Amino acid sequence: MYRTEKYYIKAEMKFSDLIFDNPSLLLLLENLELDFITGERTIEQVCQENKISTAVFISIANLFNGFYPTGEEQFSSADIPTIIKYLKNAHNYYENEKYPEIRNCIEELYKKNSSPEIQLVGKFFDEYFKEVKEHLAYEDKVAFPYFYKLYNASSAHQENEKYSSNEYHDHHSDIESKLTDLKELLLKHIPVKDDRIIRRKIIISLSDLEHDLNIHSTIEETILIPIVSQLEKKIV
Amino acid sequence: MSKSLINIAILEPSQIITEGLSNILLKTGTYSKIFKIDSLNEFNTKLFGSQIDIAIINPNQIQNKLKEFSLLKKSLPDTLWAGLVYTFFDQTLLAQFDKIINITDSLESIGELIHKIKNADYHSITGNEIEQLSEREIEVLKLLIKGLSNKEIGDKLNISIHTVISHRKNISQKTGIKSQAGLTIYAISNKIVQIEDYLT
Repeated sequence: MYRTEKYYIKAEMKFSDLIFDNPSLLLLLENLELDFITGERTIEQVCQENKISTAVFISIANLFNGFYPTGEEQFSSADIPTIIKYLKNAHNYYENEKYPEIRNCIEELYKKNSSPEIQLVGKFFDEYFKEVKEHLAYEDKVAFPYFYKLYNASSAHQENEKYSSNEYHDHHSDIESKLTDLKELLLKHIPVKDDRIIRRKIIISLSDLEHDLNIHSTIEETILIPIVSQLEKKIV
Repeated sequence: MSKSLINIAILEPSQIITEGLSNILLKTGTYSKIFKIDSLNEFNTKLFGSQIDIAIINPNQIQNKLKEFSLLKKSLPDTLWAGLVYTFFDQTLLAQFDKIINITDSLESIGELIHKIKNADYHSITGNEIEQLSEREIEVLKLLIKGLSNKEIGDKLNISIHTVISHRKNISQKTGIKSQAGLTIYAISNKIVQIEDYLT
């Protein structure tokens, strides 16, 4: 859930204030394994104590607040572990929490509206979820380990598990466009039968997920990939 | 469909003006991404291959670089080039731009500029009557959800693959749905096909 009026987050701000202002940042803290009861400490202090890159934290937090990276931020290869920690935990959140939550809602929806369309929506979602899981597994098993290898700058990169950022992008747009399909169908086409409340929950859940996936791919494409391609150039 | 992202690049030396403009742009309610750049050649290097939809440039930045600027315009033909004007410039310089934004313009007019760009992509889906699929598109849709390939559809309807692809594009634009599974549900909801054919 996002709002439009937000302030731009900076390192010297009090950590607890920003979560109070935008509670969806709690998910960011969860993914970075940070505690949210932090007393009077600033963002920078909390990040340093937890060995989290402040620059990365601020960029992601600002994404949650609706500000895209400007391209002026300075990231380095030292930021890779923080980014991957975030992405991996986010995967876990999608797979074990968010998608199952939506799946359950669709089942509830079918109880209220046992139409063939809803049955097909269930099928659509299952197939879609399977694709998403495959993509997440690919990143966990191929892409992230490869980035770690680069990060450790071992000569192991010759193993040639070459990985392309274009491939990344295609996967993402596919994942996002099927989500849009679902929203379109539930909002504009499938007739409503006594299922308004559960349908509202699904739509809101889908929109939350959409927003979060958008942040996720922005992190990968505008923060992680540029660092990685620089590293690749340096090593080769 | 409302979520099409607009990429905007701003080339303006004054940070105050850049920040103010960014804020105004974000507040137009458009889903946009703003790149701040320092010189013309950054268009090629810094933008991570993003397609820039609108470039907003202080005319001073192209003053002695007219050649470079026109090459850049040629290399990025889909970009709208807007000059950001708050002092006097020669008319020939301003003529280089597709559009002029004046510092005294109202906030609404900047919003309109953005919305115009956005609608340029989707002009075909405004207005209700256009959203209806044509008879031909319905035929294509029926075959599509049976799982036929573009070529098979073309053969069946006696049209070229290109025509099939362009029908498919229109179908997705009009319905907002891209995947085959999604279109199947669409077709059932809108009674274009019978449910029995697709439930096993």
